[in-house]
Amino acid sequence: MKTFKDTGLLFQRYTLQMLRNPVWLFVGFSTPVLYLALFTPLLKHIAPGIGVRNGSVLEVFLPGILALLAFASGSSMGFGTIFELQSGVVERFRVTPASRFAILIGPILSGLVMMLVFDAVVVAIGVAVGFEIHWLGMLALGVVLCLLATLMAAFSTATALVTKDISSFAAVINGINLPILLLAGVLLPISIGPEWMRVVAHFNPLYYAVQASRSLAAGSFGAAAVWQAFAVLVPLCALVVTWATRVFRKAVA
Amino acid sequence: MRREGTHLEAIISTVDLRKGFTTKRGRVEAVRGVSIEVGRGEIFGFLGPNGAGKTTTLRMLTTLLPIESGSATVAGIDVARRPKQVRSRIGYVSQLGGADELATGRENLILQGRLYGGDRASVVSRAQMLMEVLDLKEFADRRVKTYSGGQRRRLDVALGIVHEPEVLFLDEPSTGLDPQNRANLWDHVRSLRSRGTTIFLTTHYLEEADALCDRLMIMDHGEIVAEGTPRDLKRQVAGDSVLLSLHDEGGGATTRARVLIAAEPYVREITDEGDHLRLYVEDGSAALPDLLRLLDGERIGLKSISLSEPTLDDVFLHQTGRSLRDAGAVTAEPAA
Repeated sequence: MKTFKDTGLLFQRYTLQMLRNPVWLFVGFSTPVLYLALFTPLLKHIAPGIGVRNGSVLEVFLPGILALLAFASGSSMGFGTIFELQSGVVERFRVTPASRFAILIGPILSGLVMMLVFDAVVVAIGVAVGFEIHWLGMLALGVVLCLLATLMAAFSTATALVTKDISSFAAVINGINLPILLLAGVLLPISIGPEWMRVVAHFNPLYYAVQASRSLAAGSFGAAAVWQAFAVLVPLCALVVTWATRVFRKAVA
Repeated sequence: MRREGTHLEAIISTVDLRKGFTTKRGRVEAVRGVSIEVGRGEIFGFLGPNGAGKTTTLRMLTTLLPIESGSATVAGIDVARRPKQVRSRIGYVSQLGGADELATGRENLILQGRLYGGDRASVVSRAQMLMEVLDLKEFADRRVKTYSGGQRRRLDVALGIVHEPEVLFLDEPSTGLDPQNRANLWDHVRSLRSRGTTIFLTTHYLEEADALCDRLMIMDHGEIVAEGTPRDLKRQVAGDSVLLSLHDEGGGATTRARVLIAAEPYVREITDEGDHLRLYVEDGSAALPDLLRLLDGERIGLKSISLSEPTLDDVFLHQTGRSLRDAGAVTAEPAA
């Protein structure tokens, strides 16, 4: 089917572009590593105060980092879109009979593969410093992360196509991202916050992804957080991807 | 080469095409009722200043912008109803080009060919062929980032024709090219036409419209203000002007010549400008032998005679009341 073929072609193209951009690779790898190296030590001393057993700091923090990575790698996709819009690449693809869905999803899939590679590095480093790994849980966690990243990437790409220039795009995306990040308990669990924060967090999709990540990393499939995350992320993802495809189909002046 | 579009099969035709945009300062009617017919195998141009609505029209014809009202048919297919079918029959090179900088020329061409549905083997050989034809062979496996302006533009054109489209749309193809690369690009465009591709281009360079197009339309403020071959357009305006300077020691020769010439049927207007006569004729090159014979028969000595043709800028001036130069177009040689 043409959509599959086009998706494959655009996936290849995007992956090649990323591999040829060493700066991007360096930033991609160093961000999570820096978080691990420079944030975990701070947590160690306050862990008991926030209800985390001293030995399980990584069990709380590492899944948070992974969710953060998925969120950030997804929502940064739009910067590439803006560049490709301004250099005429988007238009060149749109004038071909290539599937509009493929034009959107090809790069997103490529981003997912890159993200999973970075995730593997982060987990490997975690294991080296004492993170206990639950294989099945990690696999399911991978799925949650892919859903989250796809949701954010589709949202970010569509926002880029609508805003069209880098400054308005950055303003919109940063304006939306910061509250989402702060209200999700990515770095510190939201459970230590006041009640209003815990209530507001329930309207935040990232919160569900983070909660599920922690449960899955610990190997507990049965936790309510897991099905809740799927129940929130799957329909939301479908909705946003459909919207983004429509934006590609429509005019981009 | 002159072609009359109406006698050929029309490969592009539009009826009363319109498009407006809503901006912060209100509604802008970018295209107001454009009707065109482009014959198969023509090089057809849209000439006009920036903001005249050329690109907007082009983007509607290439399925990139929805048509607001009116209709357009490209290669026999209704653009609004069946954009997908139109896409596979046309090529489009935007002002920006849009090649992947981090990929090589060859990689760009192969991907593009495959997105148009070609199988790998045929796309690979097509890419090779195009790079030979467009003098890109030496750079085929270098990243596009390292290409010069002229090389890039040729690659952009190659990307536009990788699937052998019936119509190629070029949006301001030579913007940013030096004169040499521009002439080179024109040669490539002409040879594409000679192989049967219809070319539709927009330009704000008078020289480009004049040298390259078989037929053109002059556009201003979203409307077509003139249409025809560059030759016909220029002739419509004022005709050619002829400057005559005579041996006139006694003083009577110039006056005598003026009366004589003014009686000729092909002379539209004649003025005495002191030491010389200026006359406007329909076809200067046909008028010159007649004028020489006439003056010779009356034994009026001729010091010099010169013929100057009107430019497309005169046409634009005539139609819009201002010069294309003043309208914001760059008519001088662009910077390299």
